[in-house]
Amino acid sequence: MKKTGKWALDILLLLFSLVFLSPIFIMVINSFKNRAELYENVLALPSSFSFEYYRSAMERMNFFTALGNSLYVTITSVIIVIILASMTAWMLVRTDNKLSKIIFFTFVATMLIPFQTLMMPLMQVMDWIRSTLHIPMLNTHEGLIYMNVGFSSSMAVFLYHGFIKSVPVALEEAATLDGCSKFGVFWRIVFPLLKNITVTVAILNVIALWNDYLLPSLTLSDVGLRTIPLSTFYFFGQFTIVWNQAMAGLTLTIIPVVIFYMFAQKYIIKGIAAGAVK
Amino acid sequence: MKKVKKMLSLLTATALVATLAACGSPQNDTGAANGGGNTDGEKLKKITIFQSKVEITEPLEQLAKTYQQETGNEVEVWGAAGDAYMQQLVARLGSNQGPTIFSVAQGPEAERLKSYLTDLSDEEFVQNIAPDMELKDEDKIVGIPYGVEGFGLVYNNELVNPSDITDLDSFTKFLEQMKAEGKNGLSLSQEAYFLIGHILNTPFALQQEPLEFIDQLNKGEVKMADTPEFQEWAKFMEAIRAHATNPMEIKYDTQMGDFATGRTAMVHQGNWSFTMLEDFEDFGSNVGMMPFPLAGNDKIAVGVASYWVVNNQADAEEAKAAKAFLNWLFTSETGKKAIVDDFKFIPALTNIEAGNLDPLSEAVHEATSSGQTIPWALNYFPAGIITNDLAPATQEFFMDSSISGEQYLQKLDEVWARAAS
Amino acid sequence: MHRKDKAWFALFTVPLLFIFSTVVIIPFIIGIIYSFVNWDGIPANPKVFVGLDNYVQLFQDTRFLMSAWHTVQFTLLALILVNVLGLAFALLVTTKLRSRNAARTMFFMPNLIGGLILGYIWQFIFTDAFRNMGEMTGWGGIFFNWLLHPQFALYALVVVFAWQLAGYTMIIYIAGIQGIPDELMEAAKVDGANMGQRLRKIVFPLLMPSFTICLFLTLSGAFKIYDVNLSLTKGGPNNATEMFAMNIFNEIFAYGNYGLGQAKAIIFFLIVAGLTLTQVIVTKRREVQM
Repeated sequence: MKKTGKWALDILLLLFSLVFLSPIFIMVINSFKNRAELYENVLALPSSFSFEYYRSAMERMNFFTALGNSLYVTITSVIIVIILASMTAWMLVRTDNKLSKIIFFTFVATMLIPFQTLMMPLMQVMDWIRSTLHIPMLNTHEGLIYMNVGFSSSMAVFLYHGFIKSVPVALEEAATLDGCSKFGVFWRIVFPLLKNITVTVAILNVIALWNDYLLPSLTLSDVGLRTIPLSTFYFFGQFTIVWNQAMAGLTLTIIPVVIFYMFAQKYIIKGIAAGAVK
Repeated sequence: MKKVKKMLSLLTATALVATLAACGSPQNDTGAANGGGNTDGEKLKKITIFQSKVEITEPLEQLAKTYQQETGNEVEVWGAAGDAYMQQLVARLGSNQGPTIFSVAQGPEAERLKSYLTDLSDEEFVQNIAPDMELKDEDKIVGIPYGVEGFGLVYNNELVNPSDITDLDSFTKFLEQMKAEGKNGLSLSQEAYFLIGHILNTPFALQQEPLEFIDQLNKGEVKMADTPEFQEWAKFMEAIRAHATNPMEIKYDTQMGDFATGRTAMVHQGNWSFTMLEDFEDFGSNVGMMPFPLAGNDKIAVGVASYWVVNNQADAEEAKAAKAFLNWLFTSETGKKAIVDDFKFIPALTNIEAGNLDPLSEAVHEATSSGQTIPWALNYFPAGIITNDLAPATQEFFMDSSISGEQYLQKLDEVWARAAS
Repeated sequence: MHRKDKAWFALFTVPLLFIFSTVVIIPFIIGIIYSFVNWDGIPANPKVFVGLDNYVQLFQDTRFLMSAWHTVQFTLLALILVNVLGLAFALLVTTKLRSRNAARTMFFMPNLIGGLILGYIWQFIFTDAFRNMGEMTGWGGIFFNWLLHPQFALYALVVVFAWQLAGYTMIIYIAGIQGIPDELMEAAKVDGANMGQRLRKIVFPLLMPSFTICLFLTLSGAFKIYDVNLSLTKGGPNNATEMFAMNIFNEIFAYGNYGLGQAKAIIFFLIVAGLTLTQVIVTKRREVQM
């Protein structure tokens, strides 16, 4: 391809992605406006870029406590999901029998259940665990993490299942002959080969869990336990929404995930670069 | 039938409330002293409050802090976004995680949650509730009103002279005149309650016995299409469709923005909408509220949106603490002050004096004082009907000008029958 | 299987299966039981066993059946748009273009926001921005308020859904594309295969696992769509965009017919499961084992 053509493509791609992002641009600029300005023109730049609404939004949300809670819940859940789901998926792929097929299809099929229909029975089950086994499943971060793992497992297993097939069995067999246990084979040989898909699973789960509202809203009651999305409820009345603070709050919510994504993406790209050299 | 009587007596009773409230100041102080001292230093169990009005969450949290400072007792305020409240409440009750104090709306919602409501009849603070403003289960008092709210035609007094709009003809003429001037005469907006819920309240409220009428409608014994007030109401709706901006194009935010900038002369709204005008400099001083002039109606619609209730699944200790808190809220100076100044409620208890009211709340308060009110019949509509049945039918009406008012009423009857079954 | 293998199998799978069962499977079974019951969802209120009544009733519910039809239309359109965009994005950002990193991040960003705000922003775009664009360009046939037109309101949902999800599938397609050995592409280049041939003969066949995954994820996401539905159209105008999930949700929480809502959910689940599993089996067959 010619150089100029490539440049043109570059510019086109950037332009297109900017258009693609315009709704986010609208969100950010409106976090700086009051109701009157917002009404006059949603697209116009704000009269001033004062961070007043960000400050008040952060204060109302109790931002740093909420950030800490969100980080704890999201990171712990994702790590557990990755460990358990990759192990499960690998076993299911490598064990070619009816049972593993049934298990796999159960995982897949449950991805189609709308959460709203599970909500009430789920709360009952958790309450039952609490009252009979005395494990505090509700109104604790750990309980939420447990449920997060349960709900995220289907998709994670599904993703791993699809990609583990491309890992050559020969490697594993060689390792087994060298006296590695299954555990060793998985963690030393297989898991490192799944790096790309692991990063993908991590990204998708981090985002889903970070933004999740419904499940935490049902399980966490105490003020001190609220995650970031939960803390934004102050801005949403039944009819009246405090748009500037809501948009400021939302912008604050997504900044950590954007940073995480850019970091994780670099990791994938490193993988490509290494491949290109060899 | 008891309910029907209650509804009607509300009209006259509310007059009483306000007069009492207006001159009740000296008595209040003594009442507060008695009631507020109830807790007398005894440490009570921690309670939790869960309630639907997001706007008062922060003042309530603040108040809980003050309460702890004054009495040493702990109150935790939970929160939920406006739309999600009911669903979260039900899920929490279902897992024995229910709050000690929560809020319910009148009608089907209170009916569904009946088995959770504690009898508060013997409590001191309920004695001050204005007549017929309490939430009752049979003859037990189970809920204390947040405050009263009202809706009607909210107008810009630079564009509208309320005495000019008194019936269908003058209403239509006004819309036409505004249209000729390039303005919008009356704006509804696309949110279900603002599109149809509130405006449809008027013909119901004008029935002899609104609740009985709803009951008959549920059973299919009467039809809106056969009832004169509704027939006239449909003509109003036709006029709005013909001469005003299509409400489907308007959101609550744009509705109030257009109103605040003089592009819209009137909106069908309630006193709560005043907060939407606050960012528009001093426009707020130009507004007033008048009745929706259907079938000679000269009253605005006043009612109670939510009630405080105590969860009867809470243990005795918690129930005791909950009652102590409510007592403090409704009888201590701090509590009463918070209700009017921080929650910005128009009080529905006789021992609480109204605070500094904005013009719209003032109008509601005045109407309440003089008894010029019609009830909120919409609270008794079948559950979920406004959003899920009446609104879609109304959207169809506003989008398709070939649907006559009469056909529209028939359609409303049809969806009502389905939702009530 | 040897006993030892069985033990390993259990060790690897049981922890997750246990959590998964308590969180998803058991509640789902309880949900099935509720579908035979007449109940308003309030724990203290009576539950009356009504057998198959709820199932009989839902098939007479024309609005439910309409919502089913909307959901099918929506899903088909969304499936195509999301995956065409996602794959195109993935191919673009795995080229050697200088802007690929920036673009990759930007394409993915819509995924990071959700909820009411998103609906509000898009409402603004379809209502006000489209009107302005229509006046500017004179293309009133494209740029009018989509949300007021029954068919176009559905397209609006498809657009917003695709906007959100294209980046999501892009991630998975990228992972797939990177799994393709460079040697294979280089060899093809040396053999004189052009871009189109390389795509058709090497990239697409090797991307089959990614296709399976992405199609399935879009399918299940589209069938379950609720948030965007609520915040963008609320099912309107005149119920023209009321989807399955919204219908079920309203049945349970607005009308308080818990049992009927659960019955609808079960039927919905059976239909969707049937369709998607067929899809998975079909695409799985085409996957190439390395």
